[in-house]
Amino acid sequence: MSDLNNDEIRALAKAVGLEILDSDITDVNYSLNAIIEAMDGVDIEGLNAVEPLAIILQNGEAQS
Amino acid sequence: MSNGGLVFLSATELASKIRDKDVSPVEAVEAYLERIAQIDPKLNAYITVLADEALAEARQSESDIASGKNNGPLHGVPVGIKDQIHTKGIRTSDASKIRADFVPDTDAAVVDGLKRSGAIILGKLNMTEFAMGDPITSAFGVTRNPWDLERNPGTSSAGSGAATASFMCATSLGEDTGGSVRGPAANCGLVGIRPSWGRVSRFGVDGASWSLDTIGPISRTVEDCAVTLGAIAGRDPRDPWTWDVPVPDYRAALTGDVSALKIGLVKEFLDPDVLGVTEPVRQGVLDAAQLLAGLGAEVEEVSLPLAPISGIASRIISSVERTSLRPEWLRERPQDFHHNTRIAFTAGELIPSQIYYKAQKLRALVRKQTLDALERYDVLAMPIDSEPATIMDMRPGVRSKEAAIQALRRGSYRGLFSMVSGPALSVCCGFTSDGEGKLPLALQLAGRPFDEATVLNVAHAYQQNTAWHLERPPI
Repeated sequence: MSDLNNDEIRALAKAVGLEILDSDITDVNYSLNAIIEAMDGVDIEGLNAVEPLAIILQNGEAQS
Repeated sequence: MSNGGLVFLSATELASKIRDKDVSPVEAVEAYLERIAQIDPKLNAYITVLADEALAEARQSESDIASGKNNGPLHGVPVGIKDQIHTKGIRTSDASKIRADFVPDTDAAVVDGLKRSGAIILGKLNMTEFAMGDPITSAFGVTRNPWDLERNPGTSSAGSGAATASFMCATSLGEDTGGSVRGPAANCGLVGIRPSWGRVSRFGVDGASWSLDTIGPISRTVEDCAVTLGAIAGRDPRDPWTWDVPVPDYRAALTGDVSALKIGLVKEFLDPDVLGVTEPVRQGVLDAAQLLAGLGAEVEEVSLPLAPISGIASRIISSVERTSLRPEWLRERPQDFHHNTRIAFTAGELIPSQIYYKAQKLRALVRKQTLDALERYDVLAMPIDSEPATIMDMRPGVRSKEAAIQALRRGSYRGLFSMVSGPALSVCCGFTSDGEGKLPLALQLAGRPFDEATVLNVAHAYQQNTAWHLERPPI
């Protein structure tokens, strides 16, 4: 996947009501593209079948 | 003992002397206030020192002792509180300009707990802005590491680590989302435990990430850590996510007997080719494991193949959750954030939903893999980071995309147990050298959900057979 460019990042921001300062755009670019690239590199078999719930504890996990 | 020497006692030693009327709580508070006046200008660990309030509490505490009333295991002991934790009538700033004037009208549940145990709140401790991971972001100035003023004291509970290590409080509280208790404990040569998610109430604590936040103690000894945790743990109806699981007597659990325990050494975190663990850190952990084996524990290597992606997944989850807490601040007061915090919050807002969704799926897999391992092992052992405390880069900004990816990956040592939601503890396991530039090394121990007692006991056994915790920083 190619990196998002600054215009694309500004458009994403606009969609959620955020305005990115000129002084911030390069650092936001680095940070956001790092997150996307790092996650894009994670390829685990069967991942799509996993329930994406923020399950904290299930019955029986607590040790008393 | 001179009053000045009181600060070098452990919290439990001090409590014992107060209980026996060898020391008065007023003497203890005065000693700590004197120490703060002497040391804190170099470290900037405190945002607010509660001198008058602490002395008033100490006089009441002294009066209680004289009349035979003892409020608990921390009676008369001065403690420091991270400035993310609400204190009634006392500013709670999150180390931010945005919250600089916020004065809560109630105490957090953990403050209630400390007070019920007799502790005296000495002050509010510095941190990184809104508990983000960057050490330079506090609106109240950077906190320094007492072992080396140029180095990172650990984030985000930087003040809790620095103050405890430099004897400016007897024990302290931090908050751990992605390692913010364990990191300062590691960098400052202390003990810090991230309790199980749901073990300690978060009522009255400014959230960083709802599904990852925990409140935990940072202390100089495991015993202090156990007593402090005992004071704050337990079900609280004001936090619906606290679990109704009995709180054991953590101090009584410190038998030092590890002979029946199985300890798994996490292979991926000890392989330099995976996340770049450095030799001093790796050797420190292996030496600690050998010592525990010598005490009778069965120690063997265990593989957790998904562990190295924990940092990426946990950071994505925390970034999304963090920015959703008060989105109006970024829109209405962007100039009041530190540059680095604003960048992190902005990037967090823009993470695509499918990336967040994928992180949650990974979390489920990582948890299952790790909890499966914890069915075979009582405790898992590993480093807390790839290297000891690093020099702080005081320049705002993100250096490159590659540097940002590296930071995400490096967060895996701590992010793993943030996502697993069981207890994880950091204990000092040596120093880089005996000469100039001596820096603490740390061992991370993690256990089954709600089994803090076993984790604490293993750390206690280790600490009872080493002397690292008796070293003092050169300040």
